[in-house]
Amino acid sequence: MALTPLFPVTTVGSWPRSTALIQALLRKQSGEITSSEFGAVADQEVIAALRAQEDAGVDIVTDGEQRRDNFYSFVVDKLSGMQLMKVSELLDYAKDRARMEEVLRALDVPAFAIKSPIVVGKLHKRDGLALDELAFMKKHTDRPIKIPLPGPYMLTRSSWFEGLSDQVYDSSEELAKDVVGILREELIALRDQGCDFVQFDEPILSQVVFGEESTETFMCASLPQRRDPTEELEFAVRLMNETVEGISGIKTGVHVCRGNWSRREDVLLSGNYGPMLPFLMQMNIDQLVLECATPRAGEMEVFKEYRNEKEIGLGVVNPRTDVIESPDEIVTKVKEIMKYFDPDKVYLNPDCGFGTFAERNVNTSETAKKKLLVMAQAAAKLRAEYG
Amino acid sequence: MTQEENLNGLPREKLIEVLESFKDPEVFNAVTGPWKSRVVWQGGMRAKSYMRNHVVEMDEPGDLTATDVAASAHEQVLSAMGSCMTVGFIVNATKRGVKVQDLEITVEGYFDNIRKWAGVEDSGNPGYGKISAKAFVRADADEATLRDIWRLAVEGSPVTQTIRHSNEVETDFEVIG
Repeated sequence: MALTPLFPVTTVGSWPRSTALIQALLRKQSGEITSSEFGAVADQEVIAALRAQEDAGVDIVTDGEQRRDNFYSFVVDKLSGMQLMKVSELLDYAKDRARMEEVLRALDVPAFAIKSPIVVGKLHKRDGLALDELAFMKKHTDRPIKIPLPGPYMLTRSSWFEGLSDQVYDSSEELAKDVVGILREELIALRDQGCDFVQFDEPILSQVVFGEESTETFMCASLPQRRDPTEELEFAVRLMNETVEGISGIKTGVHVCRGNWSRREDVLLSGNYGPMLPFLMQMNIDQLVLECATPRAGEMEVFKEYRNEKEIGLGVVNPRTDVIESPDEIVTKVKEIMKYFDPDKVYLNPDCGFGTFAERNVNTSETAKKKLLVMAQAAAKLRAEYG
Repeated sequence: MTQEENLNGLPREKLIEVLESFKDPEVFNAVTGPWKSRVVWQGGMRAKSYMRNHVVEMDEPGDLTATDVAASAHEQVLSAMGSCMTVGFIVNATKRGVKVQDLEITVEGYFDNIRKWAGVEDSGNPGYGKISAKAFVRADADEATLRDIWRLAVEGSPVTQTIRHSNEVETDFEVIG
């Protein structure tokens, strides 16, 4: 990875989408405009997102996921065998519709507004998942680049839907083999084309550990497949390790948070990382990119047993609030984690993206930029002290 | 019919013509009623209702000792209300030339006193005391326009207004054989 200063500032991925971009995305999805027409709009938005990050002092940039409709379902455009389906369409195939209804009621959302990439055929990669994003960014920034990709566990679980996927694969284990193969190829290709950091998003791991039986969830579609949490975490570790095995020359990370679909803290999941860390530490990746800025993430003492075992991408700002954290607050947060991590192991990032789902920005780009700016100011203070 | 005339899956001009024809007393009488349903017991708590050339099954939840092979009548009342408002919304949107991408209506109700149905109390209303509905829509119009279409859909919904106005229900009874 290109040299970065101590306490590198980065993001988790997504940047708020403009109204023009959302409109263009909807028109692309309904077939009113072509992918290349959408691409022309997205190009400008990516450049704007890059400039905003650079101006704020971000050391490792992303393209703000401006081309994606969300952090995982964008892969339907890149893979054959996977289709973006609304939950309202999936209701026809669901075995436990009553449970899906409970979740929809709890989230207070229409079934047409939640889309999941569902496996409806044998998976094959058409082009790279994010190679186009990387190539464009390399033309427009000289900063190190992070590419977020859906993690193998999430992609497998969220795209498996009984009644559809089992017509193609004997089991989700069989599907996982293809998912892992696709992500491995992508990781190697991204490395070979100069990507510095790939972050695998596995937010549903917190659903596995902290989620209740019926209510909050990230992915309605994956609900009927609820299983034993330990088995699920072991499965996630195995898939991640199969994905990254033997691949070097690129930084890898895994991102876990507790939900980013609502600004209401009370509807998002809560719980410390204690139950999850034994599993995350078994993943052969470099960095844990974790939500840590809100009390919902629990106490940091849980890292005590895992001192310096990995780098930590520390969530230091809440992406969903209007209040701008102060640099001193962030410095205090970082110093707290430095009881368990050396300075060269600590990266600063927001808890999650600023627009995980294209149509549900959790903040404005103005506020997002201010939050990144105070992160950079905090990093400067920390470098002065520890550099 | 040209493609331009088709909106929300409906032939817009023809629809407007049909709706206008309701001013004609003969058409008005024909669409006023009677609307009919024949319900035939199938054993247990199951029933089939026959409406023109359509059949809908009904049952009750398993925890009432029923077989739960179909939705219950009281759930289908909620669905009927939501469906009726769906039709109303789409008809009014189409009349105004508003393209609707997605529409979804949730409906829920609480019984006033279900013990009356169970026969463990003699008084009270076993029916829904309160029904609430919420529409989610994605359409090519501003919010004020869509809210107005929703208002027309609710106020003009025969099923919703039947429930809202607690119309008189006349019943009759005859033992055969």
